[in-house]
Amino acid sequence: MTRLGVFICHCGKNIARTVDTEALREKAATLPHVVLAKDYLYLCSKPGQTMIADDIREHHLDRVLVAACSPRLHGKTFAQTAQRAGLNPYLLDMANIREQCSWVHIDGAEGTEKAFSIIKGGLGRLLYAEPLEPFQSPVTKRVLVIGGGIAGIQAALDIANSGYEVYLVEKLPSLGGHMAQLGETFPTLDCSSCILTPKMVEVSQNEHVHLLSYSEVTGIEGNIGQFQVTVRLRPRYVDETLCTGCGDCVPTCPVVVPNEFDQGLGARKAVYLPFPQAVPAVYTIDWDACLNTDKLIICENCYKNCEAGAINFLMEPQEKMFEVGAVVLATGYELMPVAHIGEYGGDGYEDVIDGLQFERMLSASGPTGGVVRRPSDGRIPQNVVFVQCSGSRDPEHGIPYCSKVCCMYTAKHALLYKHAVPDGQAYVFYIDIRAAGKGHEEFVQKVMSEERILYLRGKVSKIFKSGAKLVVWGADTLSGRQVEIEADLVVLAMAVIPSSGSQKLARTLHIASDLSGFFSEAHPKLRPLESNTDGIFLAGAAQFAKDITDTVSQATGAAGKALSLLANDFIKLEPTISGVEEGLCRGCGLCVSICPFGAVKMLPSTRTGAMVAGINPILCKGCGLCAAGCLSGAITLKGSSFKQIFAQLEEMV
Amino acid sequence: MPPVKRKLFNLDQYQVPRGKVQIISERCKGCSLCLEYCPNKVLAWSTDYNFKGYRYPVLEETEEKYCISCRFCEEVCPDFAIYVTTELTAKPQSTQGK
Repeated sequence: MTRLGVFICHCGKNIARTVDTEALREKAATLPHVVLAKDYLYLCSKPGQTMIADDIREHHLDRVLVAACSPRLHGKTFAQTAQRAGLNPYLLDMANIREQCSWVHIDGAEGTEKAFSIIKGGLGRLLYAEPLEPFQSPVTKRVLVIGGGIAGIQAALDIANSGYEVYLVEKLPSLGGHMAQLGETFPTLDCSSCILTPKMVEVSQNEHVHLLSYSEVTGIEGNIGQFQVTVRLRPRYVDETLCTGCGDCVPTCPVVVPNEFDQGLGARKAVYLPFPQAVPAVYTIDWDACLNTDKLIICENCYKNCEAGAINFLMEPQEKMFEVGAVVLATGYELMPVAHIGEYGGDGYEDVIDGLQFERMLSASGPTGGVVRRPSDGRIPQNVVFVQCSGSRDPEHGIPYCSKVCCMYTAKHALLYKHAVPDGQAYVFYIDIRAAGKGHEEFVQKVMSEERILYLRGKVSKIFKSGAKLVVWGADTLSGRQVEIEADLVVLAMAVIPSSGSQKLARTLHIASDLSGFFSEAHPKLRPLESNTDGIFLAGAAQFAKDITDTVSQATGAAGKALSLLANDFIKLEPTISGVEEGLCRGCGLCVSICPFGAVKMLPSTRTGAMVAGINPILCKGCGLCAAGCLSGAITLKGSSFKQIFAQLEEMV
Repeated sequence: MPPVKRKLFNLDQYQVPRGKVQIISERCKGCSLCLEYCPNKVLAWSTDYNFKGYRYPVLEETEEKYCISCRFCEEVCPDFAIYVTTELTAKPQSTQGK
């Protein structure tokens, strides 16, 4: 005889405000098989959990329903409670009367009625629940880090220094990311390369780090503890093991194109090192710019000049496959293109540039050697207008959020400009100043008061060309006047957006991203380092716009998360996956084509030898698609069988 | 407005090879391989004819279109009628590529 227990949580007033928990308890106690019904202020608290555990033992409960919040929040908490009391955790279920009931209803009578219906459904479902045992899966003690900016470098170093192997995959020819492009960092004005390049060298020389630059992750299969990774190594046309980095190939190369590292303000050849401190320090041939094609070798100038014999025009893309236990995603950000904002010229004016372009000008190793110049005529600008929130906090241009770093770097830009051109005038348009970090507000205040920079509170409505100058129309909301400024150079603090390709990667990895395209964290408050797929962790601006300090903290945190996973030889995996009743399977193979994770394969039956569906428990994510699609009802999703679902529905309607 | 093409600040720090195309017009049989394959299209047909009765390539360079000394014409000419001498002093006039 089944002995059911029902526990109803008040969740403080979260539930009790709308749902009459006492009436609910009385009604629930009358339901069939229910031997015990109780309500309590906070079931998730220690006394609440102890009460449930004690009651399970005392009243010999064999199935328990906890009517409280969403199982996403406390499913694990109560499963552990059941386990402590000696009850199989899959015989404890939750009825969500908070998110799906009390929070969305105002009327008490209606809310109570709905809560009762949810409880009835939950009990119906519980009656057909079966005890399940989690199974163990080995953990591969290697980590994949995607992205070789400061986040990826930091995470890779932390993991490698703990003695575990790391694969660090970078899309571009060199490590460094955007931090390598910066001149000086706020608020201390540390030289960015001086603090970054030693880390780049350290990570490339670490014996535990396998650096795969100029490469992309094209496939990830598997589950936490065992991810099968496929990486595509793009051909450099220069043998990494032979290239000495001497640069003899460069002078004779006839092709000059804009250097992406200099944000298109500087030049490079078709055979190039993006910047002198690049790691690995080997040259790359940009096949899109090179005169040679896959079919025709026209120019051999670099080949003839390479004494090391490193150049190979016949190099082909390679695929590398390996297994890792955890993944750290650190794919970073980029700036929204100026072309998206028509009012500011839509990137049609040479002297309207974005923050990263200005950063390259300020960099001592940049295309202007650290001198601020107008891209159009090379003259030193006397009036510079900085526009904050260009695209950010602007739902009309699709970016509702604050990009977080622009207030600080614009203050830094204005300061460095004033130091370089003391008689020049800098104007900053801002909506609000958001300088919430350590030392940030002090920095902005110093810039505002000591540097004679004019801060104007308002937005810029239009930028247009008048002769050699640019005219900036804006509002000064503090004085209530319209402002017109004749500028030599305009620097737009463009919105920070996820790096291109991150959406494709999200699909490859089966992880979620938010409306803006940043990777979603598992919980905004309590699990900010984890994606919603177990074993995949997030670091840096791939999760949301953030400065270097926050990025490094998060990268170290993500590395710690990966390490605590790697510290286990085995991990327990949820048994709520699909199972096949071989006798019912007709071998049609529909499930194989349905499964989005490649977890179903046709295998000969152990009993009859006929081909039947077989589920790989490591790959199965328990989505239930195969069970829903199966024509002969041979597949069951454990923990959500059809019997359970129909019983739940029957009780509710 | 289409995105602007900015001049590159440090262009003058770069050297590109500059070739001098030498054409031995009497050897040419007008097969047009060199014209076809020249990546910078600096060759054009002559207006007169060589003693064999063929038109032959002549150099037609501009500020942006100049011989980059890849020497591919040398390579493809079946009649050894064209060759390139290289100097390495030229500054790039503009950006180029495929």
